[in-house]
Amino acid sequence: MFRRTSILVILLLVAAAVRGATTSAETAEAMAIIPGGIYEPILRGKDEPERVTVPAFKLDVRPVTNAEFLEFVRANPRWRRSQVSPLFADVGYLADWAGDLELGPRLPPDAPVVRVSWFAARAFAAAHGKRLPSTAEWERAAAAGFAQVDGRTEPGFRAAAMAWFAQPTAATLPAAGSGRPNVFGVRDLLTLVWEWVDDFNTVLVTGESRADTGLERTLFCGAGAAGARDLENYPAFMRAGLRSSLRASYVVPNLGFRCAQSIELSPERLTATAP
Amino acid sequence: MKTILSLLFTVTIAALVARADAPPPACCAAKEVQVLACCAKAEAVATATTSSALSGRSLYQLNSTWTTDHGVTLQLAAFRGRPVVVAMFFAQCEYACPMIVSDMQRVRTALPAEVRANTAFLLVTFDSERDTVAALHAYRNRYGLDDHWTLIRADAANVQDLAMLLGVKFKQDARGQFAHSNLITVLNAEGEIAHQRAGLQGDVSELVAAVAQLTPSNVHSGPR
Repeated sequence: MFRRTSILVILLLVAAAVRGATTSAETAEAMAIIPGGIYEPILRGKDEPERVTVPAFKLDVRPVTNAEFLEFVRANPRWRRSQVSPLFADVGYLADWAGDLELGPRLPPDAPVVRVSWFAARAFAAAHGKRLPSTAEWERAAAAGFAQVDGRTEPGFRAAAMAWFAQPTAATLPAAGSGRPNVFGVRDLLTLVWEWVDDFNTVLVTGESRADTGLERTLFCGAGAAGARDLENYPAFMRAGLRSSLRASYVVPNLGFRCAQSIELSPERLTATAP
Repeated sequence: MKTILSLLFTVTIAALVARADAPPPACCAAKEVQVLACCAKAEAVATATTSSALSGRSLYQLNSTWTTDHGVTLQLAAFRGRPVVVAMFFAQCEYACPMIVSDMQRVRTALPAEVRANTAFLLVTFDSERDTVAALHAYRNRYGLDDHWTLIRADAANVQDLAMLLGVKFKQDARGQFAHSNLITVLNAEGEIAHQRAGLQGDVSELVAAVAQLTPSNVHSGPR
């Protein structure tokens, strides 16, 4: 079924490229339903639950591509490189593009778009009737293995995620969607680029965590390690570290994004809370 | 608060007259507090059509709508033209927020009189659910915050936007309390971040200096 979906998606993308336009109906095809489940934060404060219920939601099966983002900036001039407000995207925004509306010969249209700020990513999502996934949603989807819902106990799954860390970021990123799908049919969560989440700023660790956050010593350092779980999940620690270091206007050469959609009519913007 | 609103009203009218030849819209001419949002919008339109557009670093590019503890709606650009000392908080906070408010009060007390008269103090709540207009007003009374203070609320998405721009991290826990950065930010007259103090170390001298530096002769150039 997923293969059929992929073929359909490819056909639709080809059709879109021919016409030079992507409609929301087509991108909607490229989403997978992530059933409701549990997210177990790898780091948590003393008052945070060990298990967070994540309602079912829809997630893009692959990160947003350069071609898709190009269509977005074509339709939304305020997000073009030359026009974006420095408040919403730092210098370096889309810096690898040849021009405002030109990817250039070395940048594959089907590679994931990177060097986009949180604001830009969120604007793209909103323009497509979607939103960015929450940390809980993203981690819930990424915890699924290739063959079973809980990737932790699946032979080879974690090794595949670890292998990505052993490789430097390629000069030319592979096509989005070329990775092996997980059990939900979602690709590239762990092995292509880092991805923005809507509430990345909820990781309360900073350079001065004792001074400027309401949580004192509950994350990282001694107390953090004691409160941490699943210590072998190195990639999850890396993601938490990355998120804590970001600000919403930052652009990073290997940080892209994908979109999510609520299944219920009442969209939840922040992390799901315990029942 | 009425004083501040009438002042804003006057400033808005003055800005309209100065920036655009068009007369203010009728809704803006009515002398009622509720029309502030209308005036702000009119001003935004006037601003957009002239060269005095907001700078790229101005937080006043946010066009979200906020509600004060008096039930008045406004956009952040309503504060344009004077320094603002702003912090994010929530009313049920038992530890850090009272200290933040206390520090802001100390900043205000320490400012030279002519600077103090021109400086706004703004508290923005994280708690879109519980911090209603009435809850914010009760907070104002509890801490004895006078008309120079503005307490505002908005929906969660707008709160998140502002938090992102200020660099404030926050997270609601299962009990509904918020863990959050303790940050006091000084905005210049154009709404650009001029200074930030992280933590609860108690020393407000740098904040005072940062605000004082934004005297009327400096407000248009800004510190950067």
